[in-house]
Amino acid sequence: MIAAVRVTRSRRSALWGLIGAAVVVVLLATLPYVVYADVTDLLVNAFILLVLASMWNLLAGYCGLISVGQQAYVGIGAYTVLVLAQHGINPYLAIPFAVVVAAAIAVPVSFLVFRLRAEYFAIGTWVVAEVFFLVLIRFRSLGGGTGTGLPGLALVDPAFRQALTYWSALGVAAAALLTTYLLLSSRMGLDLTAIRDNEMAARSSGVRVTWAKRVVYVVSAAGCGAGGALLIISQLNVLASAIFSVGWSAKMIFIALIGGVGSIEGPIIGTAVYTVIQQTLAQFGAWYLILLGSVAVLIAMYLPRGIWGVVTGRLHIQVFPVGYWLHR
Amino acid sequence: MTAEAALLELAGVSKRFGRITVADSLSLRFTAGETVGIVGPNGAGKSTLFAMIAGDLKPDAGDVRIDGRSVLRLDPATRCRLGIARTYQVPRPFENMTVFENLLVAAYRGGQVSRPQGYAVAAEVLEETGLSPDANRPAGRLGLLQRKRLELARGLATRPRVLLLDEVAGGLTDPEVAQLVDIVEQVRQRSVAVVWVEHVVHALTSAVSRIICLAGGRLIAEGDPESVLANPEVKEVYLGVDIDA
Repeated sequence: MIAAVRVTRSRRSALWGLIGAAVVVVLLATLPYVVYADVTDLLVNAFILLVLASMWNLLAGYCGLISVGQQAYVGIGAYTVLVLAQHGINPYLAIPFAVVVAAAIAVPVSFLVFRLRAEYFAIGTWVVAEVFFLVLIRFRSLGGGTGTGLPGLALVDPAFRQALTYWSALGVAAAALLTTYLLLSSRMGLDLTAIRDNEMAARSSGVRVTWAKRVVYVVSAAGCGAGGALLIISQLNVLASAIFSVGWSAKMIFIALIGGVGSIEGPIIGTAVYTVIQQTLAQFGAWYLILLGSVAVLIAMYLPRGIWGVVTGRLHIQVFPVGYWLHR
Repeated sequence: MTAEAALLELAGVSKRFGRITVADSLSLRFTAGETVGIVGPNGAGKSTLFAMIAGDLKPDAGDVRIDGRSVLRLDPATRCRLGIARTYQVPRPFENMTVFENLLVAAYRGGQVSRPQGYAVAAEVLEETGLSPDANRPAGRLGLLQRKRLELARGLATRPRVLLLDEVAGGLTDPEVAQLVDIVEQVRQRSVAVVWVEHVVHALTSAVSRIICLAGGRLIAEGDPESVLANPEVKEVYLGVDIDA
């Protein structure tokens, strides 16, 4: 008989990673006081991309669900904020509603798209996003196909507004990462890793595969909804064709891929790399896109686990350990 | 044997893939606390049988029952939670998880135990199957022998009432086979019905009380190991196959 079983969540303590992450968030929160708004604006965009990429990573990296339709929820999040703002609700306070609405819509949609497998799932999610786009441009009050401005923030001091937007984006990004961490370190995290490694064996070990995937799909939609809400708040307007663009999915895939699919840290690295590339090369127009594409192809070919995969493979570092370590 | 209630029962189960019949109106009964061996040439429908019991495949006709209740409409996860555990002939470990984590999933989901209980169940199975030294290794780095052990261990971690073993002895040395037979006997003593498909016949004869021989999806012979293996029809379907008994 085994007297006592001691299990920790990684070989080393998980505490330091979390303390480090908390310190980083606190430091980042002070930025509006020390740097100009162009820096915080840049970071707002980075935080939004981080949220979106983390959500895509959750789907692809843990459930094997390759979606190219997450822009559906980006758009739904943005338009939820718009509708609420048009009815007098403060856009910042509307962010949680965007999360809820995106999640609520994802539930029935999951029953539709989960009937499809692999590449059909990918195409199916895209079609769903296009359907939402086509429906939304029918509404004149929401700007139809030509877009509209976000009301409710005209009287707010721009500097304060920018800081508020920055803190919201930082908060949403931290919440997205924390949610991902909590989900993956829960028992459902074990289910998801098992599903990713061998779906058939997971099923016959008692894992409710479809349920686990549905939960992740809904969480991912909620996160993308928050991302969409932040987008409309930071841009102060919304254009249906831009917010429902498949380009969002392309960015999510790119960031997750270069950072490393299937780890919490991957999208963080990916977002940093993407933002640097974007800042240094965006002025070169088409060349910038060609370079982005080439980087993605090279990483996919030579570093299939992304940059973080190399780091963790060599150094055995995990900032957010979600494993189980048995001590004897 | 028929006096006892069957834990697992197949009633007139049939399955065809195109023109090939892999199960032809098979009726089999398994009771708690017995170890049954299933032999037969390749393509006799042994793995297919397991797939139909565990829910990976649907039979064309017939019924699969646990405690007299049909499980045909239940998915593999639910069947596992009801107590059916299967191992795969070609091991299917969760490669990026450690051995310990592989067992945790099975204990939590198949075995439906609480968080601390899961740790205890997984650690106990590790000990029982001799996988303790590999507890924190990623399953993907295990060799074939350890992978086969992990298949068995993961099945055990679901705390099964019916354990379906699909060729777990292949490639094992004689001492390892003896070890395996010991584990199976321990499991049986916990009132588990062990159903063991195996080509390594001498492993079976020392572990089982009953052998079923299948060929072409039909039951050729059934009974105690000696009489089944002495059966001329069994010898005939095995012709050209090394029985090493």
